[in-house]
Amino acid sequence: MFYQTKLRSITLIAALIFLACYASFGSYFAREIVVEIIILAILAISLDLCAGFGGMVSLCHGAMMGVAAYGFAIMSAKLGWPLFPSALIGLFAAVVFSGLVGWVTSRTNGIFFIMATLAFGQMAYTFFFKSRWLGGDDGFGGISRFDLSMIGLETNDSLVFTYIGLVILLLAYGLTAIVMRSGFGRTLSGIHVNEDRMKALGINTAAHRAKAMAFSGFIAGLAGIIAAQHTLYISPELLIWTTSGEALIVVILGGLGTLVGPIIGAILLVLMKHEISNYTDYWHAFIGLVLIFTVLAGGRGVFGQIEYWFNKLTQKHQSTTKPHGDDHA
Amino acid sequence: MDLSFWILQFLNAMQYSMLLFLLSIGLTVIFGLLHFVNLAHASLYMMGAYIGISVAAMTGSFWAAFFLAPMFVTLIGAVLYFTLIDRMRTAGPMNQVLVTFGLIFVFLDLVRMGWGDIALGLDGPASLSGTTRLLGVDYPAYRLFIIALGLGVMATMWLVLARTQIGAMIRASVENTNMAAALGINVSKLFFLVFCFGCALAGLAGVAAAPILSATTTMGITILIPTLIVVVIGGLGSLEGAIVGSVIIGFMETFGAVMIPSFSAVLTYALLAVVLIWRPQGLIPARG
Amino acid sequence: MKNIATKLVLVTGLCLNLGFTMISTASAETKVGLLLPYTGTYASLGNAITEGFELAIEEAGRTEEFTIVIEDTEMKPPVGLAKARKLVYQDEVDVIAGVVSSGVLGAMRDFIHQSQVPLIVANAGNNLATGENCSPYIVRVSFSNGQINRPMGTWLSENGVKTIYTLAPDYAAGHQMIDAFTEAFTAAGGEVIGSEFTPFGQTKDFGPYLTNAQASGADGIFVFYAGGEAINFVKQYGSFNIKTPLYGSGFLTSPLYVEAEGDAAIGVRASLHYIPTLDTAENKAFIKAFQAKYNTMPSEYAVQGYDAALALMAAVDNGGVDRATLASQLPHVSYVGPRGPLEIDPATNNIVQNIYIYDTVMENGALTQKIIDTVPAVRDDVAGCQM
Repeated sequence: MFYQTKLRSITLIAALIFLACYASFGSYFAREIVVEIIILAILAISLDLCAGFGGMVSLCHGAMMGVAAYGFAIMSAKLGWPLFPSALIGLFAAVVFSGLVGWVTSRTNGIFFIMATLAFGQMAYTFFFKSRWLGGDDGFGGISRFDLSMIGLETNDSLVFTYIGLVILLLAYGLTAIVMRSGFGRTLSGIHVNEDRMKALGINTAAHRAKAMAFSGFIAGLAGIIAAQHTLYISPELLIWTTSGEALIVVILGGLGTLVGPIIGAILLVLMKHEISNYTDYWHAFIGLVLIFTVLAGGRGVFGQIEYWFNKLTQKHQSTTKPHGDDHA
Repeated sequence: MDLSFWILQFLNAMQYSMLLFLLSIGLTVIFGLLHFVNLAHASLYMMGAYIGISVAAMTGSFWAAFFLAPMFVTLIGAVLYFTLIDRMRTAGPMNQVLVTFGLIFVFLDLVRMGWGDIALGLDGPASLSGTTRLLGVDYPAYRLFIIALGLGVMATMWLVLARTQIGAMIRASVENTNMAAALGINVSKLFFLVFCFGCALAGLAGVAAAPILSATTTMGITILIPTLIVVVIGGLGSLEGAIVGSVIIGFMETFGAVMIPSFSAVLTYALLAVVLIWRPQGLIPARG
Repeated sequence: MKNIATKLVLVTGLCLNLGFTMISTASAETKVGLLLPYTGTYASLGNAITEGFELAIEEAGRTEEFTIVIEDTEMKPPVGLAKARKLVYQDEVDVIAGVVSSGVLGAMRDFIHQSQVPLIVANAGNNLATGENCSPYIVRVSFSNGQINRPMGTWLSENGVKTIYTLAPDYAAGHQMIDAFTEAFTAAGGEVIGSEFTPFGQTKDFGPYLTNAQASGADGIFVFYAGGEAINFVKQYGSFNIKTPLYGSGFLTSPLYVEAEGDAAIGVRASLHYIPTLDTAENKAFIKAFQAKYNTMPSEYAVQGYDAALALMAAVDNGGVDRATLASQLPHVSYVGPRGPLEIDPATNNIVQNIYIYDTVMENGALTQKIIDTVPAVRDDVAGCQM
């Protein structure tokens, strides 16, 4: 069940303000970092929607992002279509892809579901990797950013682009929050908690899960469009399973099932990575240790833990189960 | 394409299948008994290769490496068991995936720190260098050794599981852990033993593969996916499943590469998807 | 007396001051960004190129003149591009050197061109970077994928090899290398009777492909593999005792890792733009200096880094003091380095260099290279480059 609590709203606003300030007043590179955080955060939100609320831990979200990015890039850069329609087609492609994957895997659970999404993600990756006309593993460039000059915004300016990214992040969050609060979202949580009971209530759980994946693909697609427009270049490694793995780490680090947690997790992971790589090339080990520690410490993640303490302190009555409580897929 | 071509490719497929088997049997038994998804199994495979190379460099003997590397890897596995694995046994697949994923990262950098970034080679034993005449073709002796090793492990495990008391205890615990404990089987000691044995197999696979595939920092991650696919297709927790799975994947990848090279990369994933949809518990699952 | 003394002191002080200012402008610092992978599968290449680069600067005694900022591309195009932007906008470097992966180079190309910052490519071999996608700001001192392989194709055909079976990893560089070889080989009268591309980075067992290649009955097998794949391929080729001779792009038996290949590498004939056994004064001096500093033999990657630094210093000496002047001077660099005579072709901004055909042999218990032939001054066609 998802509640837009005061704590979550405050944390969300605080995070966005922090990112905006960091981009505005930090060094040039700070803007690059903030965009990296935005893309990862949106991807993680889309994953949290599936994994945190639906109990469907997926390793193909990177592929969903990549499909949208490639769709957008092919339509605009290769076929010369205008930018907004190209982006819509990219998003549509991601929705179709994730919907299909969701439908095909709708009867699997647990480790089998994880493996199945891994397989489909890798298939998509192989498809783009082997396409010579798309540049294969070298990818292709020539992508442009949206032209917002009619409302006075110069998207090629990195600060403006960063602000637009923050707006899209807020949009992605808002959209996901609204859907999770709606009947659709509650049904999804219900399926996660007890699928048989939902079936007994007459719900077509398989179809519902597929729709959830499709919506998740739409959000992930937003991240893909930003990613393509950020580097103005696209290559297949967005679709490798380790990208999805990174999104999963971010969700766990921040807090599964909170929607705000992924944003916090993204900020933490990206900043940590950059800080540590200033001192050593061996930052993978550090991230690994942080991940292990997070899981051992209860698996609530940083924001999840803060929320837990806050709720205990204010003695809020936890009547409805929080998705990340005792329900481990 | 004459007969000798097909025999050669058949042997290639067998050798790859045996390597996959050595890795997947450890992983599947650990899952079947401990209900633990150990992604770090691939990292232990990598450690086996690197430690084997160091032992061989120090002693000048391949066989020393062959026997000592799995022992060192078992030691590492035992440490992991007491610090991490035992605690995570009841934590559910997602958390297990995450923790072992973290371990993969840690091992990756440990290896980079200890052995550097450049790929390292290991020479096979002089007794197994060169080719042997078999079924009318000349085939590398060392690869035949791997086939024999895999078949040997297969036969030994089948015997142990089917004919010995400890095998019976393991099978009982896989089928119904609580009942087995109720009957007086020391299940937690069994878990530990089986886990160590799985780690030893991973280390053995690593040092055995090193003369052919050499040791690189990404060797674990690269072999992880095919191994997981074998285990899922074959059926988690069963020896027969691991055998069937590794043979199917081994032959499919080998002959796929030979006959339809442009699609062979997708074939394995397509098969995985098909099995997961049609028969998600795998072809020969451990329990019904 | 006092007046004259004071005046003398003042004048001397003034002269010294002027002198100092003149000296400081003459040795104005050049800021270099080294953009290379320091993590990931190609970290060893990144380190080798850095070693060569730093050695050249140190040898010339000009470490005070050059400030080096190091950034890790992680071999990922978005990361490489982000770091490039950082180097240009935040660190305000005068020139960027490095780039191992063609994917990273591709992602950076438009940015480099638009921000008009000179880039010295010290590895990435994608043909398009000095072809269709060339830029007056991108100068390559390493090689192009075609440049290494065309001479081998022509040479093999002219030396009695009639049919060839090719193998390479299935990615952009693999295709470019094989395409260049095939074009030259068939133009010289040879025939490629079979060709396969192995899944990139995933193939560890080349058994099936080697069996295929042998069964084809070709006069020779020509391959491109590098790094860990090269080690595996050569070792497995040896273990199968295949009679068909093995030819390759020189990365197959690169000095960086040929030792790991063992006896299987003996007799492999390949083409490369640098061999440590080149018998020239420049190369001998380079090897001595490299071994003294790093205790290991240099590879072609180290030489690329070394030459990148030499090119940069030459451009600075010819009046390169900022981005624009460095960019205009770099294409005019020419000298004799450890590889032999080098110059940049102003039509493509790609290096013009010798390609050496060599055999790997065992000498004094170590694997080394024996030069069979030299193809001088190999130059790429313009291939769509417009600057």
